[in-house]
Amino acid sequence: MTTRDPGASPERTRLAWRRTGLSAAAVALLAARPAVHPGAGPAEWLIAGAALGGWAALAALALHRAPGLRARPPRPAPRSIRAYALITAALAVLGGLVVML
Amino acid sequence: MFGGLRQWFDPESAHTEGTTPDYRFSLANERTFLAWIRTGLALIAGGLACAQFLPPLPIARLREIIAIALLVLGGVVALRAVDHWARAERAMRLGIDLPRSRFPAVLAITVAIGAVLLVAAVLYRVVA
Repeated sequence: MTTRDPGASPERTRLAWRRTGLSAAAVALLAARPAVHPGAGPAEWLIAGAALGGWAALAALALHRAPGLRARPPRPAPRSIRAYALITAALAVLGGLVVML
Repeated sequence: MFGGLRQWFDPESAHTEGTTPDYRFSLANERTFLAWIRTGLALIAGGLACAQFLPPLPIARLREIIAIALLVLGGVVALRAVDHWARAERAMRLGIDLPRSRFPAVLAITVAIGAVLLVAAVLYRVVA
């Protein structure tokens, strides 16, 4: 069972994590954008820091997942998956702050 | 929708029930989760882009309302993604049918209605 599909499944999953991290980078940059406008105050800087910190956490989770995928058979990652979803939801809340400021 | 909430905070329960499925199915489930997360991130990016790039619309605060609606939708998609992942994982371990859901249809209709409203608002602004 573990020899039929030795490489493709873990590799596709690793690339899916990477794609998702890149999508998150776009969100973080959009949320951080007000901080580079003239007249940006501490609130904008704080939000930009939180957005980039959130993106760094998502990228770190994707990196953390890679060794589990390389293992044979790949190890499950319920904690990484839960943390990923919660940080994404937190980015949505942060986006709400950006809109209301 | 959040029937499997207990599983989130009790990861051991998910690994004692039933039998471990073929890892390829688990990885496919993980990729589906990530695809839903990207959908949520796209909605969040759309909300932020609405707030930052849309000109003021004829109805007061409509731009902000659209942006917040997209952001809320993105957050709900992310939370629903992890719930669906956990339920699919459990179904595979127990060998029962995968969870069925109306969520994709509801999301599609919501986005379509929102797009039509936005087109109407922009056209109104062009004509008026």
